[in-house]
Amino acid sequence: MAKSLIEAKGLSKNYGKVTALNALDLQVEESSIMSLIGPNGAGKTTTIKIILGLLRPDSGEVRVFGQCPWDNPDIRTLIGVVHEKAYFPAHEKILDYLKRVCRIFGVPEDRALEVLKLVNLEEAYDRPIKALSAGMLQKFGIAHGLVHRPQLLVADEMTANLDPQARSNLLDLVVELHKSEKVTFLLSSHILPELSRVCDAVAIISYGKVLASGNLVELYDKFTARVLRISTDNPETLAQVILNLSYVQEVNRDSRGITAKVAEGAERKLYGDVPSLAKKVGAKVLGIESGSASLEELYRLVVTRGGGQ
Amino acid sequence: MANKKFKGKPFLEIFASSLQEDYRFPLLEFFAFLYALGTFVLANISVVPEEQSVYGLVSSLMGLPVIIFMILVFKNIAYGLGGDLEKGTIQTLFSYPLKRYAIFLAKLLSAVGAALLVLFGIQMFALVVLAPAMILPYISTVMTTYLASLSYPLLLASVILLFTLIVRKGGLAIVIGIVMFFAGTIFQSLATFVSLGIRSPLLLQILSVVNPSVAMQYHYHNLSVPAENLGTETIWAPTSTEVLTYMGTAYLLVFAVLLLSYYFFSRRMNL
Repeated sequence: MAKSLIEAKGLSKNYGKVTALNALDLQVEESSIMSLIGPNGAGKTTTIKIILGLLRPDSGEVRVFGQCPWDNPDIRTLIGVVHEKAYFPAHEKILDYLKRVCRIFGVPEDRALEVLKLVNLEEAYDRPIKALSAGMLQKFGIAHGLVHRPQLLVADEMTANLDPQARSNLLDLVVELHKSEKVTFLLSSHILPELSRVCDAVAIISYGKVLASGNLVELYDKFTARVLRISTDNPETLAQVILNLSYVQEVNRDSRGITAKVAEGAERKLYGDVPSLAKKVGAKVLGIESGSASLEELYRLVVTRGGGQ
Repeated sequence: MANKKFKGKPFLEIFASSLQEDYRFPLLEFFAFLYALGTFVLANISVVPEEQSVYGLVSSLMGLPVIIFMILVFKNIAYGLGGDLEKGTIQTLFSYPLKRYAIFLAKLLSAVGAALLVLFGIQMFALVVLAPAMILPYISTVMTTYLASLSYPLLLASVILLFTLIVRKGGLAIVIGIVMFFAGTIFQSLATFVSLGIRSPLLLQILSVVNPSVAMQYHYHNLSVPAENLGTETIWAPTSTEVLTYMGTAYLLVFAVLLLSYYFFSRRMNL
C-alpha cells in the first residue's frame, strides 16, 4: 500500500461566520497526481494553505511527510509550491532570484538555469521579475517551485494565466516529472478536462467537505456505473418523462442533455424506452452513451449526490 | 524526514534579499551622512569639552539624523514588510525552510537593525574621528544621549510594525507613525506648559516613560520657574539614576511591543 504524504483529518476553518472547511478529510498518496476539484469557495485554497502551513485550522490536524506543516518548516525542503498568483521581490532578475532560491535550499546554482529551460524562460533570464507578463510569471512560479527538486509539488490553479499551448506543455511536464522523478502532485484547478489528462486520483470538495476522493478509476466505477448519458435538443421535457420511469433512480440535466442512473440490469430497458419517449414529447435524441467518460461528469454527479450513492 | 544534509542558507539569503529591497535607493542615508559630517566639523571647533556641552551638542545634532532614521525605518517596515504582506510575497518566503521567527528576525534586522547601524555608524564615525578630544572622555554621556533619543523612534517603529502586521496595510501604518511622532512632540510642549502652570512634573514623568530623552533634557537643564524671592523654584530635576530608570522602562516597552509583534507574526498570523 502506498504511503500517504499528506494526511488531513477533520480540518475545520471559519473566516468569521463563513465556514471554509467543515471536517475535511484528505489523503494524498506517494507518487500520485491528485487533483482537488470543486466550485469556487469550496475550500480548495484554504485546504492548500493549511497543508503548506500558511493557515492554522480551527480544529483537526494535518500531517505532511508525517509532520505538522505549521511547526516544521524543514519539510519545505521536500515540498514545492506554486501559488495561483506568484509573488516575488519585484526588482530582482529572474535568474538571480532563482540562484538565491538555490542557495536558500542548498542546491547547486546551475539548477536555476536548468528549471528556466524547463519552463521555456531561459531567454528572459536577465529580466526583472516585475517585467514578466502574467503567463511568464506563472511559468517562473513553476520554475521556483521545482528548483529544489521537491518530492511533492502543491499547486493552486497553476495553469490559470497560461495560454493553451503553455498549459498543454505544462501538463506534459507534470506527467514527465511524475514519471522520471517520482514527484507527487497535489493540483487544484477549475479546468477539469486538463486535470483529467494528468491526474490519477481526485478529491471532490464542496462546502468545505470532501464528497468523494480516491483513485480515479475506482471513483468512475462507483459513481458512473448504471449511468446513461442522453444527448437531446430538449433535455427539460425529456428529463421529466424519464424520471417517471419506475427503474430510473436519478436524473440530472444540463443544456446539452440528461444523465440518468438506473436500477441494476435496467440499462438496456432505458436504451429501448428512450426513443419512444422522446418521440412522444417531441424531443430529438442525438445519442445515448453508457457510463460517464469525463471528469466533469464525475464531478457533477458527485456534487449532485452530495457524495453519496 | 527533511534532508539532514541541508546546506542551504535561508536566513542569510532572506536577510540579503530584504536589504536589497529596503536600501535600493540609499538617498536618505546619503543625506544623513552629509549632515553628520558637516555638523561635526563645525562641532569640533565650537564646543567646550564638558559633560553638559557634550550632551547639548549630541542631542541637538541628532535631531535631523534621527528624523531621517525614523522615516527610513517607517518606510522599511511599512513598504518592506507591509508590501510583502499586501502583495503576498510573504507567502513565497513561507515556502522556504525557515521558522517564522527567523523570517521575522531577518525582516526586522534589515528594516531597523541596518538603519540603526547606518545612523550609529555615520554619527560615531563623525564624533570619534572628527572630535575625539571632546567625545572620548564623555563617551558614556554620548551613548546615553543616543539611547535616550532613540527609544521613542524605536517604540514608534515597533508600534508601526505591530500595526502593519495586524492591518496589513503599510501606507496606513506609516501615517499612524508620523501622526504619533508629531503628537508626541505636541504632547511634550503641552506637558511642559502644564507642569510649569501646576508646578508638578507628573505629566513630564509620564511622558518620560515612553520618551526618556525628556527626563534627560531636564537632568541637564532643570525645569524651574521664577520664585517669589527672586530666585528660582525647581520643579523637576531628575537624577541620572532616574533617567536610567526611565530609559530602562522605555526600552522594556519597545521590547514588549516587539515581542507582541513577534508572537503575532510567528504564532497567530494566518496568510
